[in-house]
Amino acid sequence: MANGKVGAVLVVGGGVAGIQAALDLADSGFKVYMVDESPSIGGVMAQLDKTFPTNDCSMCILAPKLVAAGRHPNISLITNSEVLGLSGEAGNFEVKIRKRSRYINEEKCNGCGLCAQKCPVEAIDTYNKGLTDRSAVYVEFPQAVPLRYKIDREKCIGCKTCQEVCKANAVEYDQKDSEITLKVGAVILAPGFEPFDARLKSEYGYGRYANVVTSIEFERILSASGPYGGIVLRPSDGEIPRKIAFVQCVGSRDAQLGNLYCSAACCMYSIKEAIIAKEHVPTKLDCTIFYMDIRAYGKEFDAYYKRAQEEYGIRFVRSRVASITEDPATGNLFVHYVGEDETPRVEEFDMVVLSTGMQPPKNVEKLAKALGIKLNKYKFCETGAFTPLETSKPGVFVCGAFSSPKDIPESVAQASGAAAKAMAIIAPERGKLVAVKEYPPERDVSQEEPRIGVFICHCGINIGGIVRVPEVVEYAKTLPNVVYAEDNLYTCSDDTQKRIREKIKEYNLNRVVVASCTPRTHEPLFRETVREAGLNPYLFEMANIRDQCSWVHMHEPDAATEKAKDLVRSVVAKARLLKPLKNPTVNVTPAALVIGGGVAGMTAALELANQGFEVHLVEREKELGGHLRKIYYLLEGEDPQDHLQKLVKAVMENRLIHVYLGAEVVEVSGFVGNFKSKIRLNNGEEKQVEHGVVIVATGAVEYKPKEYLYGVDPRVLTQHELEEKIAKGRFNARKVVMIQCVGARNEERPNCARICCGQAIKNALKIKELDPDAEVYILYKDVRSYGFKEEYYREAANKGVIFINYSDDRKPKVSNEGGKLKVSFYEPVLKQEIQIQPDIVVLSAATIPNPDNKRIAEMLKVPLTKDGFFLEAHMKLRPVDFQTDGVFLCGMAHSPKYIDESIAQACAAAARAATILSKKVLEMEGIVAKVDEDLCSGCKICESLCPYGAIEMLEKEGKTVAHVIEALCKGCGVCGTACPTKAIVLGHFTTEEILAQVRAIMREMEVAAK
Amino acid sequence: MSQDSHPPRIVCFMCNWAFCEEEMRIPYNVDVIRVMCIGRMDPALVLETFIKGFEGVMLVGCKPPDCHFVDGNLHAERAVKMLKKLLALAGLEPERLKLLLVAPLEERAFSHYAKEFSEEIWRLGNSPLKKDEFIANLTAAKEAASAFRLRVLLGREEELTEFMNAYGEKIPEEEFDALLDDVVKAEYIRYKIHYLTRIKPRSVKELAQILGLKPFAVLRHITNMRRKGMIALDRVEGYTPLYKALEVR
Amino acid sequence: MSETQKDFEPKIVGFLCNWCAYAGADLAGVSRIQYPPNIRVIRVMCSGRIDPAFILEALKNGADGVLVAGCHLPSDCHYLSGNFKALRRVMLLKKVLKDFGIEPERVRLEWVSASEGDKFAAVVRDMVEQIKKLGPNPLKMEAKK
Repeated sequence: MANGKVGAVLVVGGGVAGIQAALDLADSGFKVYMVDESPSIGGVMAQLDKTFPTNDCSMCILAPKLVAAGRHPNISLITNSEVLGLSGEAGNFEVKIRKRSRYINEEKCNGCGLCAQKCPVEAIDTYNKGLTDRSAVYVEFPQAVPLRYKIDREKCIGCKTCQEVCKANAVEYDQKDSEITLKVGAVILAPGFEPFDARLKSEYGYGRYANVVTSIEFERILSASGPYGGIVLRPSDGEIPRKIAFVQCVGSRDAQLGNLYCSAACCMYSIKEAIIAKEHVPTKLDCTIFYMDIRAYGKEFDAYYKRAQEEYGIRFVRSRVASITEDPATGNLFVHYVGEDETPRVEEFDMVVLSTGMQPPKNVEKLAKALGIKLNKYKFCETGAFTPLETSKPGVFVCGAFSSPKDIPESVAQASGAAAKAMAIIAPERGKLVAVKEYPPERDVSQEEPRIGVFICHCGINIGGIVRVPEVVEYAKTLPNVVYAEDNLYTCSDDTQKRIREKIKEYNLNRVVVASCTPRTHEPLFRETVREAGLNPYLFEMANIRDQCSWVHMHEPDAATEKAKDLVRSVVAKARLLKPLKNPTVNVTPAALVIGGGVAGMTAALELANQGFEVHLVEREKELGGHLRKIYYLLEGEDPQDHLQKLVKAVMENRLIHVYLGAEVVEVSGFVGNFKSKIRLNNGEEKQVEHGVVIVATGAVEYKPKEYLYGVDPRVLTQHELEEKIAKGRFNARKVVMIQCVGARNEERPNCARICCGQAIKNALKIKELDPDAEVYILYKDVRSYGFKEEYYREAANKGVIFINYSDDRKPKVSNEGGKLKVSFYEPVLKQEIQIQPDIVVLSAATIPNPDNKRIAEMLKVPLTKDGFFLEAHMKLRPVDFQTDGVFLCGMAHSPKYIDESIAQACAAAARAATILSKKVLEMEGIVAKVDEDLCSGCKICESLCPYGAIEMLEKEGKTVAHVIEALCKGCGVCGTACPTKAIVLGHFTTEEILAQVRAIMREMEVAAK
Repeated sequence: MSQDSHPPRIVCFMCNWAFCEEEMRIPYNVDVIRVMCIGRMDPALVLETFIKGFEGVMLVGCKPPDCHFVDGNLHAERAVKMLKKLLALAGLEPERLKLLLVAPLEERAFSHYAKEFSEEIWRLGNSPLKKDEFIANLTAAKEAASAFRLRVLLGREEELTEFMNAYGEKIPEEEFDALLDDVVKAEYIRYKIHYLTRIKPRSVKELAQILGLKPFAVLRHITNMRRKGMIALDRVEGYTPLYKALEVR
Repeated sequence: MSETQKDFEPKIVGFLCNWCAYAGADLAGVSRIQYPPNIRVIRVMCSGRIDPAFILEALKNGADGVLVAGCHLPSDCHYLSGNFKALRRVMLLKKVLKDFGIEPERVRLEWVSASEGDKFAAVVRDMVEQIKKLGPNPLKMEAKK
C-alpha cells in the first residue's frame, strides 16, 4: 500500500450484477467484499423461472455463478448485512457495515436443514412471494449461497428445538448484530430494484382478488421449484386457468403515480411468461397481453415477439386497462379496457398477471446517505450519458437496475464495466490482497482399480419429474466398478459439492460421474469439486440426462428412464478408462488489440490503458470516432461532440495506446494470451503486433433506405441526415413526417434497431425547440422509448408532436404528386386514410451490421447472428464474451445501442479482458493431444492436418517424430483420428474411451430389444 | 351410541396416586385404566379412545402441588387444553373430555365424580356426526396430536410462558395460546386433507367443500403439505389437478 | 423374430461436436422441443475427431443408425476446419458401407449450429422415421440368425 491505495473492492448487492462484478474483480487479482441485505445472494434472478429470449432456465444458468462466487477464494460474502457509512476517498475508503444476526453461526452451519424440518413455527415464504410458507429457521431457496440457515426473529418463539437437533451446534440465540469496518479502494453499487407494490394500483384489485397476481409471483407459479410445482394454478381454487390476461405497465409509464419512466424489461418478461405458461399447461390456454407499446428492442427480441404471436398464438391487445373487477362466485376477473377503436370493452379471464415495474430498492435513501451519492428524481442512482457507471462520488460506481430499469444482459455488461472502472483506480494494488487457491496434493490413482461414484440429479423436478431417478441410481450401482451411487435434489448445489468430496474420501473413489444437465455449463464446477477432494479434475465425466433426455422426452417417462440408464452406462464405461491430465500453462502478453475506433473501441482502449495494459487500436477510417461523429446532440442534453473530442484527445495522448488510422487487421493467429496479428497500415505496409486479447468494436452502419422515395426525392432524409441539417443550421421545414422502422422489423431484418425511436423523439423535440409551431408527425409501430427515455416521449407528445400508429398491413405511402411530397396513412382512431403534404419526410433508418463483420468473424473464428451482428457466448450472462477465449466484443458490433450502453459494454469488455491480461501465466484446458513416440512413424500427416500449427516434427534419437505444442493445441482431436499408427491421442477423448462408450450404449439396447 | 339404549361408555385414565380408596366403587359404564402419572398420557391415546367408540374420557390426576412426578398435573392441563381445541375442530363437544385433579385425601369418593361425568355425557347425547365423518375427523385430530409440531409446542409451553425462551423473554400466555390455536387448526386441516386424499385423489375444490373452507385456504395447505412430503399431484382431470396423500414418515 | 416393421424402435448413436451440434441439442432441451427418444449421444470436442471406426463399431454392435453432427460449413467450426474432415471421412465411409451390406442411409451427416435446437430435433425425428422404413440393422439380423 505504498501509494495509500487498497486492492479491495466493496460490492453492494449480491444479485446477478453484483456477482458478475465480484467475479471479474476477483478473477483479475482483487479482493472483493460482497454485501447483501438478504441472507443469500442471487437477487431477483434467483426467483425467475426462465429468461428471455432463449428460455434458458434462470436458476440453471445462475447457479454456477452463485457457486463460483460462493467458493471464490478472493470473494468474501457478507450477507444479511447493510452498509452504514463510507468515509475516505477513491482508492482508500473505509466502509462500515452492520452484520445483522442470523442467530446461526455461519462457520458451523453446514446447511443440512434438519432445523427447518423440525421447527414448529411457520412463516410466510417471501422467496415464493408469499404463495406458501416456510419454517421460522430457513434458507431462501435450495441452491442458496451461502447455504447457511437463518432464524426469522420475528416469528421464532425461542423454543430451542433447532438448537437441540443441530448436530453442528450452530444455533446461537444470543448472537448480536455486529459492526465491521473494511478498507476498500472502490465501491460498486448493485442493489438492484424493488418490484412495484401493485396494491398502490388499487383499481386492479391486487391483494383483494386472489387471482390477480404480480409477474414475480407468476414466475414462482411457473417454476418447477415453486409453490405449485410448476403447474399453473389459480390461487383462488387451485384450478388450471383457461384464459390469462397480462396487464402491462403496472407502476410504469404512469403519471398518476409519478412513475413516468418505462421499466424496460416487462414487455419481454410478459411475453416469456405467456409462452412458458402455455408450455406448462397441458390443456389449452389462451394468453392475452394488454399493452401500450411492445418494447421488444433488444437483440433478437422482436423475433421472439413474433414467435409468441405466430407460433404460440398469444394475443396482443393495444390498450390501457382501466380496471379489473371480480365475479366473487367464480373468482373470475373482468378486465375493463378501451380498445383501439376507443370503445370500452369488458372481457372475462380466469387469472390476471400484473406486469409490475421496477422501483428503486428499498431503503435507497438511507443507502444514498450512507455512501454520499446523488439520486435522480425517481430515486434511482444518478448517472450521465457518458458516465453510465459513475455515481456522483468518485470511486463509487453503479451497475444494474439501480441506475435505471434494465434487463439481465445489460445489468451484467454494466457490472463488468463497473468492475473495470474500479480496477482502474486500484490497478497498482492488483494481486496484493488475494489468496492463492491451494488444492490438496493430487492422489496417485494409477495403481488403483477404478472406483466410480455416480451422482444423479433430480434438478428439482426438471429431471426427476420425468426420469425415475431412484431407479437409475439402483441401476448405476449394478455397473462395473461403480462402488457408490446416490441421487441429489440439485447435484450442483453447494452442499452436494461437499457431499461429493466427502463420498470421494469415504468410498475412496477415484472416478466421479455426474448425471445431470449439460457438461457445457456444469463440467467446470464438478471438476473443481473433485480436484478439491484430491483427484485429478479429468477423472470426472458427465451424462446429460436433462437437456438431452428429460426435457426432450417429457411425455415418455419410461423411454426417458431407459435412455438415462443408457447414458449413465455409457459414461461409466468411459470413466473406467479415464486418465489424469495436466493443465498446460501459457505466458500472457499483457497487451490488447482493439478493432474499431468508435466510442466503444476508444473507451475499451482507454479503460485497459488506465489499468496499465498496452493497447493496439485499429481504425479503418482516417479518424477516430465512428458513429459518434454523426451525433450532434443527445436527448439527455449532453454534448456528444465535446465528449468525442475529449475521448480522442485522451486516446491520442495515452502512451500505452498505439492508434493505427486508415488501417485494417488482416490476420489474427495464436490463442488467448498469445495472439499475433498483422495490421495493414495506411501506407500499405504490414505490421505485426503481439497481444493477449482481442476486443471487437467494429460498430454498425445506418441502413440506406430503398423505400419511401429515399434517394429519389431530396426531401426524403434519414434521421442522421436530419440531425446534421439541424446541427448545421440548415433546417427550415415547418411540416415534418417521420416514419419509423425503415429497414427494421420487416421480413429481411425481423429485429428492432433499438435506437431509432429515441432518435426520432430527439429530433422532433429539437424541431419543436427551433420552431414550436412546426408540425411533426411520427408514424410508428411501437414507441420504444424504454427506461428514462419515456419522459422525452411524453414531453414530445405534450409539445404537440403527433404520434400515429401504423401496422404492417397498412404501411404509410410516400409519393411525389406534382412536385409536392405527399404522405398518406391510415389513422386508427379516426379510422380513415389521412393525407399530409409535408416539407420533408424523415426515415428512421435501421442501424444494420457493419458489412465488414463477416470477414472479421471468419478471421477470429467467432459467430454472427442471423442478422449479421456478432453473437456473444451467452445472450444473458456473457454479453461481451465470445465462446473463444480471449476474444471480446462491445458496442454496436453486438447490436444497435445508445452511447451510454456502448460505453458500459466497452468498459465491460475491458474488465473481461483484464481477467486475462492481469495474469502472467494462464492455466489452459488439459485436453490436448499427446504423441507416443515409439509408435510414431514420422509421416507428418498430423502436422499438415492441424489447423493450429500445434504439431512440429522433431528429430529424436535418429528418428523423426511428431511433437505437440500444448499451448497451441485446442483439443479437437483431428490429428488422432487421422494418424495411421494411432500414435497421437487426444486426452480425455481417446479412441478406447469413445469405443467403450459406443459398445456400452449398444449392449444394453440389444438386451432391451429382446 | 344411542342415548336411550344404554348409559354412555366412559374411559377414565387415572393416576396411580389418585383415589387411594381401599375399595373403589366404579360404575359399570366406566372403565378405569391406571397410569403412572396423568401428565405422561399420550394425547393421541385419548383421541384413539373416542375413535374406539367411547363417549367420554376422564383424566384423573393429583391436585397441585401434589404430583408425584412434580409437574405432571400441569402438563396434563395443557394437553387437555390442546385436546379440547382439537375436539372442537373435529366437531365433538369439548365437554366430553374432563380433567379432574384431586387432593391425596379427597373427601368425596371416585364414584361420585364418575356419576357426575356420566350424567353430563348423558345430557350431551349422541354426537351429531355421521359415522364416517366422525372417524375421519377424529383420525385427523389424532394424527395432528401426534404431529411433531404440536408435540414440541405442547412440550415447551410451560418453559416459554412461565420461565423464558431462548432469548430470555417470556411469551405472554394469550400470545402462545393464539399461536397454538393456529397450529392446532392448521395441523388438523392438513391431516384431514391427508385422510381424505388417502381414500382417493381429490381436487382443491372438493376438499374445500368437504372441509367447509375457502379453496384458497385449502390450496395453501396443499402447498405446505407438498413441501413436507405429505401429498403429491396424482393427475390432472381436464383443468382440475387431483392430489393424493403420500405416506407420512 | 418378433421385431416387426410396425413396432420396430430403431436405436441411433449420435456423435456430436461440443461447440455446435451438442449445444444445438442442448438448446432443443432448453426450448423443450420434443423428439423421439431413440438417440443416444456421445460428445466429442470436434466432428473432426469422429473416426470412421467409431461409426463402424456402433453399426457392428447393432445400431440401426448413426448420426454425425458438427458445425456448419464452411467456417463455423470451432477448430477451423474439423467439419471438412468429418465430411470427407463420412463420405468415404458411406462408399464402403455397401460392401458390408449396410445401407449408406443409416449413416447421416448433419450440420447443426448452437442456435438450431429445432433443427436438431427435426433431424432426429426425420432420421427415426427414415430408419423405421429401412428396418433393423442387417448386421444385427444376421447375428440373430
